[in-house]
This record gives sequence, structure tokens and C-alpha cells, in this order.
Amino acid sequence: MPRRKDEPGFSRRSFLKTVGAGGVAAGVLAKAPAVDAQGVNVLGPGPVPVTLNVNGQVHRLEIEPRVTLLDALRTRFNPPMTGVKRVCDRGACGACTMIVDGKTIYACSTLAIEAQGKKIRTVESFTQGTVLHPVQQAFCEKDGLMCGFCTPGFVTATVALLEKTPNPTAEQAKRALDGNICRCGTYVRVLEAALNSGVKRG
Amino acid sequence: MAKQQQPPAPPPAGGGQPQQQVQQPPAGPPRSWPPVADRVLLGKSIKRLDGPDKAAGRAKYSYDIIRPGMLYGEILGSPHPRARVKAIDLAAAKAVPGVKAAIVIKDPADPAKATINYQGEEVAAVAAITEEAARDAMRLIKVEYEVLQPLATVEQAMSPNAPQAFSSGNVSKVNTSAEGDVEAALKTAAHIVEGVYATQVQTHTSLETHGGIAEWEGDKLTMYVSTQGVNASRDGIADALGIPKPNARVITEYMGGGFGSKLGADVQLVIAAKLAKAAGAPVKIMLDRKHEHLITGNRPSAFAKVKAGVDAQGKFLAWDSETWGTGGAGQGAGFTVPYNVYVFPARRQSHRDVYTNAGPQRAFRAPGHPQACFITETVIDELADRLRMDPLELRMRNVQPEAPNYQWKKYFPIGAEKIGWNRRHPTGDATAGPIKRGLGCAANRWAGGGNRSTRAMCEIQPDGSVTTKISTQDIGTGTRTVIAMIAAETMGLPLNAVTAAIGDTNYPFAPGSGGSITVGSVSPTVRVSAENALKELFTRVAPQLGVTADALEAKGGRIQVKGTPAKGMAWKDACKLLGTTPIQANGEWTQGLSSVGTSGVQFADVEVDIETGVTRVKKIVSVQDCGMIVDKLTAESQMYGGIIMGLGFALFENRILDRNTAKMVNPNMEWYLVPGISDIPVIDITLVDQPDRGVIGLGEPPVISTAAAIANAVSNATGVRIRKLPVTPDTVLAALQQERAGGTL
Repeated sequence: MPRRKDEPGFSRRSFLKTVGAGGVAAGVLAKAPAVDAQGVNVLGPGPVPVTLNVNGQVHRLEIEPRVTLLDALRTRFNPPMTGVKRVCDRGACGACTMIVDGKTIYACSTLAIEAQGKKIRTVESFTQGTVLHPVQQAFCEKDGLMCGFCTPGFVTATVALLEKTPNPTAEQAKRALDGNICRCGTYVRVLEAALNSGVKRG
Repeated sequence: MAKQQQPPAPPPAGGGQPQQQVQQPPAGPPRSWPPVADRVLLGKSIKRLDGPDKAAGRAKYSYDIIRPGMLYGEILGSPHPRARVKAIDLAAAKAVPGVKAAIVIKDPADPAKATINYQGEEVAAVAAITEEAARDAMRLIKVEYEVLQPLATVEQAMSPNAPQAFSSGNVSKVNTSAEGDVEAALKTAAHIVEGVYATQVQTHTSLETHGGIAEWEGDKLTMYVSTQGVNASRDGIADALGIPKPNARVITEYMGGGFGSKLGADVQLVIAAKLAKAAGAPVKIMLDRKHEHLITGNRPSAFAKVKAGVDAQGKFLAWDSETWGTGGAGQGAGFTVPYNVYVFPARRQSHRDVYTNAGPQRAFRAPGHPQACFITETVIDELADRLRMDPLELRMRNVQPEAPNYQWKKYFPIGAEKIGWNRRHPTGDATAGPIKRGLGCAANRWAGGGNRSTRAMCEIQPDGSVTTKISTQDIGTGTRTVIAMIAAETMGLPLNAVTAAIGDTNYPFAPGSGGSITVGSVSPTVRVSAENALKELFTRVAPQLGVTADALEAKGGRIQVKGTPAKGMAWKDACKLLGTTPIQANGEWTQGLSSVGTSGVQFADVEVDIETGVTRVKKIVSVQDCGMIVDKLTAESQMYGGIIMGLGFALFENRILDRNTAKMVNPNMEWYLVPGISDIPVIDITLVDQPDRGVIGLGEPPVISTAAAIANAVSNATGVRIRKLPVTPDTVLAALQQERAGGTL
């Protein structure tokens, strides 16, 4: 299970199932999943094949199971996808926000192997050619960005909000964006952008 | 202590006398901004030019750049705040597959260099083909430490039983500044307030951590650095490596926040350059969040034992204070009280810096000012309580006389009107229920100014394109946009016709973005370089139009004869006259286009739950000037941003060290709390335009007064005095407890 922003922590059971307990997995170098004594698939610790569906394109990688979804995109993709940022690296700031199967997640706290078989969307997918998404446009119009390091995460969280709730109240928007941190202090105008992006649905 | 980590003294920081005031008479014609009525871009709300790249995720920060063959470096930081390194064994680290280099930083063979003075201080470093391999290797470095008893707090460091952790002593000599006869003045006072006031250590918490990439090509070093000062970074790193400065180049196209912590030459790049040399490949080092908190600077703590007196009519008579604070290992913790917005005819401050085993301080957005403001404005509210006088009235009676940069007398009534000061109850909200409402206010001042060494080069190409080159950097303030606006305004061109090329030491000199001097440095210089380039273009166009060059003007995308706009030609046609040779015109910083000194006031409206101690800020009102506004949109964003950072200082942010081990217990972003979107109150800003004063920076002023205004509002709501920051629930509950036990007033 990718780590959802509204459900902190993953279950110990699913963690063990996916990556294998350290002691059991030790010495297993096979690229193909091995099977441990409990009949659970064990991956790693060496590189394993990982297939990710990001922005509608399939990417095949050979990476260690411990590589996060964020690091896989930022450092293992060719060309690298660096729109989303690494800031706190432990699910506290939202700079790495991606949308996985319609839900925002912290990609720094999600393993790449967990995200296989899911539809992953990043900030790079919102722009059509050079035309900005209405949310990106609103961030520029309202100056909802300064140094810009948190901006892709905020844009992604805002897009996810508006796809579910096209006309959010200020309270709904604040709730949706409360998992993202900005240090320059753009919040006033981020909120204006979220409430005035011109995205209307249904 | 690593010398290369020290930032340069912030340019005219501290609100003191800025050196920029002393200027040689400028050569050449006097310079001016266009008349207000003629301005097409200046003073308007202009969207930042790099907004689309940032919002789309296309902007490449140092953290994002991957160079061919690049390795990932990791620095092993000391887990112990005070220790001696006895031995380092790199063998196991070097044996990790993928490791290409490993170096010792704290050499045990040299006792003078083997000392650890704070947690996270660099011990050794590795570089490997993946970050995971580098981290594995880092964990396998064997270090033998002699762990020593650390100094975790100022109280420990000042104790007579403390171990001497610093060669010059744990506490600096007393530095006293005084004016007038304080004792005599206090004897005549009708009311005296005595108290001890304290502010916490705040970390910058820049979202992009410190670091970058070092890449050698022969003896030439190119670096991509997350810095606020490409030139200081280049110079400091070159010095640390012992290479000629022209052999080193720093590039900073985008950077993810600094707030004063990125003004110097970062040790991460020095280490990356050494690893890159050893491995024969580019090396990237970006700190992790923990070390960003530990070693990249902070706002020092401040403590003040104050005795202040006022006469029966509410005139301040005297201020006497002993002050101290810690900037960590070997660093100062200076601030000036009373905050010199107000007149205390007799005043004295005796200050000591206290050294502790914690990360060294660095310049932090308005160094010294939020601390001095909080202490002074709190004492003033206490004096008002003694006098039973409205604290706003007391301020109006004691602020410095009006001057262009001393506008508090004008701004206080504007802010009072906007916050609804007339509904303020004298002290303690008497309404029923646990939620208490209160109001508070505070003032600020800052110098700003410009660096006279700033240079720029303006190029006009035969195809009509215009580029301004200047080695400043955009730290999120909108500098790139301001440069393009000024060049475009000067040449009568649309904004998109002009490019600002910045963030590269190969361009003409500009200072580090500190002390709120960037806009005051680059604006005049860009204006002059653009005027010089335009003048040269006029000399080519004039013969074609049968006039002299001084008869021409650039307006609306045309070069035309003044007063006869029909006689002229389109910009592109004019530039075609250049043939194959572009115009390259230099510009020097020139007086008359910028100024020094800003003033402002802030008001806070808060709700405090006296059962839980939780404070909610409902509204902040700010009235602030910054000279001539260049870009209204981004200037307003500076205001919002400063106030929000001030809110964090007021309520949440606190670097907490374990009192026994001196290790930081919250080096992350879930326990070191910076404000989130739900913490943001209504923020009402009035940005006062002063078009006649020229350009002045705005980065620092808005952060100064927020905490003081909020703390005074909390005291007004609860009826008990808050004398320390941050105003956390436990601080509020402790003050209420103390009140029940005998009073805080």
C-alpha cells in the first residue's frame, strides 16, 4: 500500500509481505522474487525489476527494493523526473506529493516496489505541451509561489483536491493542503489560487 | 569550528548605520527613475517570470541536477556534540561496492583539528555511484570518539562548575554600551518594570537543503550550489581548496530558500570538490533534513534582564539591561536593546555571548531584530500596564521623531484603525468562557541599502533581443523579474522582450542576497546598464532619423524623436542597424536610485484558550514601507512571507536540545514546527509606496514585529504577562499558574 497522506504509517504485515524481513532476506540476491519459509515472496536486497506506470508511460527499472518511489523518479528515470522534490524525506512536508490511483501520497515514504501496478501521476503530467494546467496558471497569477521548492507538491495536492471537489470551501482547501509545508510563506496566495483556479467540473 | 562555514557579516544588517551611505560622487549624468505617470511596469503587479517553470516542475534546482558520471557524496556527522576524534577507519566503507572515494575530515593525527564542538560536525565523507551505497558506506566508517561532557544550555555554560569547552572560555567578555545616567534617571521614575525576557533558537529550515555539485575539468572547478551568494560561495570555496578564484565557478539558476543561512561558502561543496578530485568524477552532496537543522545555522537565543523606568506622564526615562544568548559553538548572539524605534534618554546594555555545544548561528532574516523587538515591546506594554495607559498611546509618546525612514507615528494610527484597537480591553478579557481575545502591537525598522560594487552588463542583439547579465541570484524574492522589469521599462519594451541572466559567477559582480540589499543593489545597476546600452543604440539610430542621439526616446517598442512620435522606427528595425555587432554596455551601481531605511508596524488579534493554553492568531495587520515599490505583487508576497515566518517564531518554532546530551531532539519537520496553511490568520497588509525615495529592500522588515505583537496580544487576552517565546501552550499555562500563585504583574 502506498502511504496515503491521510493514513500515516503502513501496516507491518504489508511491509513484511512486500520486502521481506531483513534476517530472512539476507543473502538472497536473486532478481526474481524468492520464497521464504512462510511462503512469502522476498525481494532483494540486490536490484530487482520494477515496473512503474507514471503519467501513462511504463518505465522498467532495475533497482533495489529499498529505493523510494520519489528517488526512483528523481534519480533512476532517464531523463530524471525532478518536478517533485525531496525535503523532509519522512512524510512531513508534502514536497514529494504524487497522485497514486487518485489519492495523494508522500512519495518519499512509499517504496517504488509498492507502487507497481498503480497509476502514478506527477506534476509533470499537468502541463499540456507548454500550456499550464489551470491550477499552475492560478499559482502564477496569484503569486502562490516564491522560491518554488514546495510548489510542485502544492500544485499536485491542489489538482487532486479539485478533481474530487471542484468548488472547495476555504476550509476544505486548507484541509487538503495541510500536509504540505512552505517556508517562504506563500500560504495566503496558495489558498487564493486553490479557490480561484477556474477548474469547474460536473 | 569550520571557518568556511561562517557567513560574511550581513551587509548593512542590524539597522545600524549602513556603509552604503558614504558614497563617492557618481561619475556621469545624474540618474533617475521615469516619472510615476510614465511608468509602464514599475510599481505595477507583475507576475514572476519564472513562475511557470516552478509551477510546472521544470525549474532545475541544484538538488535536481544530475551531471554525467556523477557520484553521490555523504558526510558522516559526529553523533556527539562534544568529543575528540581518536581514530577513523575507512577500510570497511571503501570496500562497499560502488564506493569511489572516502576522505577523513577530522584528522585524529592533528589534535587541533580533531575536536568536535557540535552534533553533526563533519568527521569523514564518502562518494559512491548511488546514494544508497554512499549511505551504506558512511554507516561503516569506524570512528573512535573520546566523548566529553557537552554544554547544552546557557545555564550550564555559565555555571562556575562547567567544563571549559571553548579555549577562550564559555562566556565572552562583557560588552557594555551606555548613554546618559541610568541610575539617576531610574531614581526619578514614577514606575519601574523589572523582568527577565527570553527568545528561543530558531532554525532556518530552508526547504532545499544545503549542498550542490562539484565538477572538475582539469584544474577548473564548476559548482552548482544552493546559495544566496554565488560570489561569496565561489570565493570561499576557492580559498578553502587553495585554488585561484577565477578557476572556480558557481551556478545557481534556482535555489530553494536560504533566509540568511546560505550566504557563505558551504563546507559541503568543499568536501564534494575534494571527493570529486579523489574519485575523478562529479560529486553531489545535499544534506539530509537532520543535518540541515543541526549545522546550517540558526537564530541565536536571547535573554535580557531589564529594568526600565517611565515618568508619570508616560515619558520613558531609562533602560538598564544585562543581556546574553547563545549562537552555539564559538558564535556571537548579539542584539541591541532597547530596540531603537523608541527614545530612552538614558540606556545601558551589558551583553555576553555564551558558547554552547550546538550548531553555530548564521545570519537569519533580520539578525538580532525580532529578539530586540520582542524584549523591548514587551517591556513597553508592561510599563503601560503600570501607568494604566493605552500601550499605543505610550508608544506614540516615545517613538523616534518622524523622518522619511521613521514613519511609526503615521503608521500606528493606520494599523490601530484596521485592527479595531478601540475595542481593546485594558487587560485580561473578562468575558465568560475559556476563550479570551486580545490585541497587541509592535514596530520595526531596517536599513537595506545597496552595494556600490554591483555591476551589470546589458546586451542588445541585432535581432532585437535584450539580455541583462548580473551575478545576483533569485532566492524566491523575485529578483529575476525585477531585473527584467527595469531593463524593459528603460527600453520601452514589453517584459517578454528582455531576459535576465543571473546566478552565475561568470556575470558581473553582485552581492549576496542578505541584509535586504539585493533590490537596492541590482535595481540602480540594471537601470544604468540599460540606459548605457540604449544610449549607444540611439547613436546608431540618430543619423537615420536626421536628429542627434539626445533627441531620441525609447517608448512602446519604438525608438522615436521626443515630441514627434511619428518620426521613429520599430525597436527591431533599430537593432538591425547594429549589423553583426551587438551592443554590450556595462553599468555601475549609482546613487540616487535607491535609498536606505524602512519602517513599519504590526498589530495582532488573538484568541487564547486558557484551559488548553492554545493560541490562535485571528488577524495580523501590517503597515510597512520599502521606498519605491518595483513589483507590487512580489513585494506583497515578501510581506505575507515575513509575517508567516514571524508567526512561526511567535508560536511554534523551537530548536530543542536534550539538556544532558546536547543532542537536538526535533531535527525534522514533524517536531520542529513551521506554520502550515491552517495556522494562517487573516493578514491585512498596507504597503506604503514612497516613489520619491528610490528602491529599498523588503526581505527582512516584515518578519521583525510579528512575534512581539502576538505575545503582547496574548498577554492582553489572558491578563498575564508572557515574557518568553515561543508562546506554546505550556508557556501560557505556566504564566497563568504563576499568576494564580502570586502574579506576573
